[in-house]
Parts: sequence; C-alpha cells; structure tokens
Amino acid sequence: MGSLRTFIKDVRAAKTLAEERAIVTKESARIRTKLKDDHLASDKKRKNIHKLLYLHILGEKTHFAQVECINLIASDDFRNKRLGYLAAMILLDEHQEILTLLTNMLNNDLHNANRYVVSMALSTLGSLTSPELARDLYPDVENILARSSDDFLVKKALQCAAKLVGRDAALLEIFYPYVGTILRSSQLGTHGGLLGVAKLCQAAVLCRSEYEYENYPEILHSIVDQIPEIFSILQDINSTSFSPEYDVGGTCDPFLQVELLYTLRLLFEKAPQETLQYKNKLSDILTQIATNSDSSKNSAQSVLYECVRTIFALQLDQSLIVLGVNVLAKFLSGKDNNTKYVALNTLLQVVPQEPNAVQKHRKFISRCLFDPDISIRIRAVDLSFAIFNETNMKELVNELISFLKLSGEQDRDLIINIVDQLINKFDLYALDNDLWAIEKMVEIIKIVGQYVSFEKVSDVMVMINNSQDLEQKMKLIQEIIELSLGKRQESLDGENLGWRLLSVWCMGEYGDVLLQKGMFLDSELTTFLSLLNGIYSSNTKLISYILTAALKLSSKIQNPSCVEDLRKLIDGHTKDTNILLQSKSVQYSVILSQPVGQRQDILGAMPLFEKSFRNGNSNHSEKPKIKVENQNVLLDLLEGTSDATVKNGSQALLDIFGSSSQEGAIPTTNTNSSSSISLSLPQDAAETYQSNEMQVFFRTVSVAPAEAQLELYIQGHAQIDNLQILAAVSKTQKLTMGHLSSASIAAGQVCRQDMKVSGSGKLKLRVKLVYDGASGTVTEQFDHKFDQSL
Amino acid sequence: MVQIKYMLLISRQGKIRLMRWFDAFTATEKNKICRELSTTVLARKLKMCNIVEYQDHKVVYRRYASLYFVCGISPEASNELLTLEIIHRYVEAMDSYFDNVCELDIIFNFTKAYDILNEVLICDGSMTETSKTSILKTVASMDALETSDNLDQVLS
Repeated sequence: MGSLRTFIKDVRAAKTLAEERAIVTKESARIRTKLKDDHLASDKKRKNIHKLLYLHILGEKTHFAQVECINLIASDDFRNKRLGYLAAMILLDEHQEILTLLTNMLNNDLHNANRYVVSMALSTLGSLTSPELARDLYPDVENILARSSDDFLVKKALQCAAKLVGRDAALLEIFYPYVGTILRSSQLGTHGGLLGVAKLCQAAVLCRSEYEYENYPEILHSIVDQIPEIFSILQDINSTSFSPEYDVGGTCDPFLQVELLYTLRLLFEKAPQETLQYKNKLSDILTQIATNSDSSKNSAQSVLYECVRTIFALQLDQSLIVLGVNVLAKFLSGKDNNTKYVALNTLLQVVPQEPNAVQKHRKFISRCLFDPDISIRIRAVDLSFAIFNETNMKELVNELISFLKLSGEQDRDLIINIVDQLINKFDLYALDNDLWAIEKMVEIIKIVGQYVSFEKVSDVMVMINNSQDLEQKMKLIQEIIELSLGKRQESLDGENLGWRLLSVWCMGEYGDVLLQKGMFLDSELTTFLSLLNGIYSSNTKLISYILTAALKLSSKIQNPSCVEDLRKLIDGHTKDTNILLQSKSVQYSVILSQPVGQRQDILGAMPLFEKSFRNGNSNHSEKPKIKVENQNVLLDLLEGTSDATVKNGSQALLDIFGSSSQEGAIPTTNTNSSSSISLSLPQDAAETYQSNEMQVFFRTVSVAPAEAQLELYIQGHAQIDNLQILAAVSKTQKLTMGHLSSASIAAGQVCRQDMKVSGSGKLKLRVKLVYDGASGTVTEQFDHKFDQSL
Repeated sequence: MVQIKYMLLISRQGKIRLMRWFDAFTATEKNKICRELSTTVLARKLKMCNIVEYQDHKVVYRRYASLYFVCGISPEASNELLTLEIIHRYVEAMDSYFDNVCELDIIFNFTKAYDILNEVLICDGSMTETSKTSILKTVASMDALETSDNLDQVLS
C-alpha cells in the first residue's frame, strides 16, 4: 500500500473519469479493510486516516472510519492527536451520536499540560457543540478562562464559551463575568481575546429570549457597563499609528473593528433603554470613523460599511444618516463592483427613511444601470424605482429607456420587472392617460416588446384608449403604424410581438381616422393584417387580435376588394383547430354579413376603461374589474346601438346586463356589508401583502419558545366571496389553522383567520388565497417571513 | 461581523481542493452546494462582483491564480467586504507558510491548509486571530511538536 503522496499522484494522473473512479474506489476499499484490523500499528492507522481525509475532499463516503478518528485522538503521540482532532472536526458534525465517545477525551485534553493539545480540544468542542457536550464540558472551558494566563488559550476559550451559550442559554450565567475581566486585563485583551469577548457579548444579547432565570437584567447591565471600554478600544484602534501586525491596507485590524461595531449595534438594538446614556457617545464615534477613514481600499470600506449599517440599524440622528448615505454614494462612484453591490443593497433599505438624501445621488445610481454586472443592474433598477417621484420621473424614465435600449435577452427578467413597475408608477401618479407617459410606454414596447407580456401591452392599449387628446394621440398612432409598415427609417426587431399586437389593435380601433386623414391606403392596412395572419398563425393571442382588427376595419373601409380580403381572413379561421379562434371567427362572419349600418354601430369606438384600482382613489365600490383583452370584444358586441363613445366602464357593463339604472347595483353591496359581522383591523397588524383585490395583514399574538399564535387579517378592496385560506410552514414546524371569521367580505371590510405554529426554526409562512372576486375565481399566493423565530 | 457557514477551495477545472463546513449540512446538501457553486462561480466573469446570492444566504468568493476561495456567509449580519479580507488573510498566511503558495501545495499538503484555517476560523466560522504572525507561529510550533514526537520514536 502506497503513501498518501502516491495516492494523490495516481488520482491526478488518471486520464478519464472512469479511471479515477476505479483508483478511488479501490483505495477506499483498502482503507476500509485496513482500519478494520484492530492490531494495526498506530502509524499505519494515522496514514490511513490521512488518506481518508483526502477521500473526503474528493467527495467520497467516510462514515466507516468515525470511530477510528476518535481512537486516534486518544493516542499520546502528538501527530496522532493532531490528525485525529482534525479528522473529527472535518468528518463529524454536532448531530452525530458518536460524539458521546468524545466527551471523556475532550475532558482530559482540556486539562492537558500542552497548550496546543488544549487548543485543539477547544477548537473541536467549538466545532462539534452538541447540547450534551455543552452541558458536560462547560466547567472545563470555564476553568481555562478562570485560571489560564495564556492569551492563546483564552481567545479560543472565549469563542468556545460564546458557542456554548448559544447552545444552552443557561450557561450565560457562568460565562458573562469574563466579559469584564478580559476587557480589563492588559495581558489577555489581545486582538484575538477581544474578538472572543465580542462574540460572548453577542451571544449574551442574542440568547435573551431563551434565558430562563430572573437575573437577565443584571447580566445585561454588567455587559452594558462595558460599553465605554469597547468605545475606547475602537478609538484606540482608529488613532494608533501604523502597527504592521494588524494592518490591512492601511486600516488597523478591520476584523476587530467590524466585530466591535456589530457588537455595539446588537447591544444598542436589543437593549435600547439600558444603553440610552451611551447613545450620544456612540454617534460621536461613528461620525469619527465615517469621516476619518480613507475609503479607497476594501479593508477601509468594510469598516465604513459596518459603520453605516450600524447608523441605519439604530436610527440615529438624521445628520448621521445623511452622512451614511453619502459614504455609500462614494462607494457607488468608485470602480469596485463589490462596494457598489453592498452600497445599492444598503441604500435600498434606507430609502424609506431618508428619500431625499438618497435622491441626491441619483446620478451614481443611474450610472449603475449600465454596469456590466447583472446583480448590480438589478439593484440599480430597484433603487431607481424606490426614489421615483413626480419631480425626477422624467429623467429617471429616460435613463431607464436608455438602459432598455442596451439590454438584451440576458436581462429578460429585469426588463419585465421594469415595464411592470413603470406601469404601476404611472398608474399611481394617475398619469396613465398623460400623453408623455403613453409615448414613453409605446417607446418601451418598441424597444423591448418581445419580452413584455401581452397583459402589459394591453395595459398600454388602455392608456392609449383613455387618452383624451385625440390629435396628439393620432399622431402617435400614425407613427406606430408607419413603423410597422416599414415607412420609417428605423427598423424593428422581427421578434417584437408586443409591438405587432399594439399595431394590430391600433389599426382596428383607429383605422377610420387614419384613412379619413389619408395617412394610409386601405389596401396597406389589409395587406398588413393578412401578412401577419400568415406569419403568426400559431400565436392564438395575436390571431384573435387580428380577427377583431379585421372585423372592425371592415366596417371602416369602402374599397370592396379590401373588405373581401378581410372577410377571407376571418372566414379562414372558421375551421381553426383552436376552439377559441374558431368560435370567434364564426361569430365575426355572422356580424360581417349584417347590413353596413348595423355593423358600424356594433363596431364603434371603445369606451373609456377604468383599470382595476391599485391606487385606491376610486369610490365606486361596485365597480367591476375589467380585463381588457377578455372583455373588449364582448363589450363591443353587446354595446348595441348606443352611440356613446365615451363611457364609464362600469356603466357600460350595467348597460349590457340590461339594468336601466345604477340603483339596482348599489343596494346589493350595502346589504352585503351590513350582513357580515364587522371586524376592525388592530393597530399592530403589519401589512404583508397587497393585491388588486385585497390587503393582507399579520399580527403576532404571542411567540412562546415552541409555539406562536398568529392572526391573519384580510381587508377586501372589492367584494370577495368563498374565501379559502391555505397555509404552509417549513418542515420543522406544524401549523394548525383556526377559525376564519367570515368567508365573504365586502369592500373595505375585514376578516380574520387564526393560526397556530408550533415547532422550531425561523417563523415563515406560505399563504395561498382562493376566492371569488369580481373577475371570477382568483388564486393568490405569497410568502412571509417573520422577524421572530421559535 | 462575518459568520462563515462553509469555505470551499475550487480549482478552475471545477475540482474541490479543500472544504470546511462550519454549519451542519447533510451529505446531500454538501454535494449540491459543491456542484452548484462550482458551476455558478466559475461561470462568473471577471468584471462581476464577488458576491452571489445563493439559496437562503450569500456567497463571497475570490480568485487567486487557478483557485477560487468560496465562502458561504449568513445573509443578514455578515459583512461581505470583510469576508473578502478574511479570505485574503488566510491566503496570505498560506503564502508565507508555503513560501509562495500554489495549487499543488494545497493539494499535497491539504492537512496543513486545514491546520492554518483552524487557527483563523473557529466555532461557527468566526475569526479568532487576525495577526498573521500569531497564526504562523502557532502552526509552526505544532509542526515542531510533531517532529519531536517523531524523533522520540526513532531514538527509542
């Protein structure tokens, strides 16, 4: 049996994967046999475990040798012990039962005279801290902290103690006094020791909810009392002259600085009352660090970044927040992509608090839109929308458009996201019939129409339809159609289906105006429709738009041969294999055979649409949600001879269903609302989800260690019936659904669902809502993470 | 603060050269992470940032010659920029120890690479020593102990 070195060489020399596998499997089998031999010399044993570690790196199974690793630790030979501990740390984890075998050895080694043996035992305990090991071995760790004057051991014992407290909060009582003693000790307070102290403080703060004894306030107090000490260490590090041992690119020990800043952040965050008296001093120190550090190197930036995060997390003075935003803006202006990434991420979190400060650095944010790195572009887009407002939107939209011009297939998700968000923003600022907004949306469809969903294109159609400025609108439509007919300089991507859809719709709707003004020949339009009909025959959506456009156009043109072409187009689909297209085409040919006068009435201009109200500024509670592309045909057909061209959508529908007045509809809603028991939304319920139809809130009633009581509130924007709430939790938890106060709610009303989650782990839910809304049965789903854990 | 869940050393050919798990993962999870991260990280272009969002956490990586050092870090509190510095400190320590380290040094002396790492990161992957000198001194002393044990054995 060869040495490890030859084994590694053999593996590397293998020409094919199969050959490599053969070598590895063979060696693995040999090691297994060797290790089974109880009389194997310890040197040989060590060699085999050494090889086994290499197998582990190669991704091989090593479970058969766990006991052998532990036996190696029991050896007195330092070489065996060292490899044994290493193997235990690498091959085992805290969930293995075999750890009980380790207890005794660790217990002995933690008292060993050799500091390196003690240190390995500490490291191993720190890596493999099962609750049992924590309980059995904490006195040995404490012994080191209490008696040892070796800073090398103390720094490791502190880290280990922090981990033990994390496993069993009750141990905090044993370990907390060492925070003070080590901080004050000049000998033990080395940088490594301070890192350990910081960890112990963090553990003390984080285990608050699990600590069962009454003296927690005292413990917290004694730790808070050390804050001035931490302050002075931070100041010392920042003011001392160059110390080569700890210097990283001109910054003194960024590792320790960041660790201390984070510890302070936790302390101030979790104990706001107790730390109040130190808050001013903290602000001073943070200002000092933020202003004095030279931010060109990554090491300095990591400290600045931590400093800024602390400022934001603690909601310190506005001036400090502005300072923090400026530091991040400086990150954005640099060349380094990592700092840009963290800056954008962090700015996104602070926008809601300080929109204006972030606003000032728009230039840098927009520049990130053009970064070669997609993760930076995504965040730049998010941030652009986060600072979007009425004053800057024109510039922002132009910047986004220039980004879209350069985008490509790899940005598909981002493009879709931008279009969605823009339509929402225009809607929010009630700009959806503003000509500028329409022009921009049309331009966007022109650039990236191939990626945009037809739903979004039809949102743009609604915008065009609702625009009142007929003359400007027609100019825009003329441009759209000219481009489609190839009459303009610019060319169009052949894949741009969104644009095709838009032009087809425009021809159908506005064909008459275009022809009257003599902008186009009727034959141009009909040829175009026939051409598209041929090319995109597999695209149901586009074809049904073409059919509608052909029908509408047929009533608007005089040229008999063109009308005949359109009739052929429509008749061509009467035998379509797609049932939707077939029925559509059959219906249309019936309409087409009606006398001209009647046809013109049926195919008149569309009424104004109201989009489903996202901004909530509408007071029509009975207003139906109009899905444009599904219903426009219906509306068209059924509107009958009404000559009203401009009509409220809801009225139109009421007309269709034959009720002559609106009074019929309103009382229904009223009775509905009075019949259900009215519930109001509690103050402390947090909004977690919002859709067109509803807002969802969560309220945590109680969070005990292993059980949480939750209440989910749903406030409807419109009538909701047959509501079903389905929810799921992660595998480690169990969910019990309680009572649902009402399955039907009227607009503005609230219903409540009780839930109970038991188990352990982070509290998160996936919720699915199924209900009958204005537009039929709707399913919505969302995920929510709570801050609390069980 | 940085809490490192795992550190992987991946060669440019996608081979794992070293792996250290500070959190408890099952064998299946480990395999999945190794497989997915080697493709993800290797596919990233030079100009891209060194931070990737992966599963429920973040991954910070840095390339040194033919080796990628890949660290999974806890998502909320960990400082991404500092993670890069930790990787660098580890690389510096190895560079001094091996006197201009290369991938082959790590392949053939992987236990040494682990030993050095154990002096930098401890427990749940938190940093325990920031001074390169101290790290190297400890590893050197332990190496010396091994040799003396070897000597004892030969003499007896």
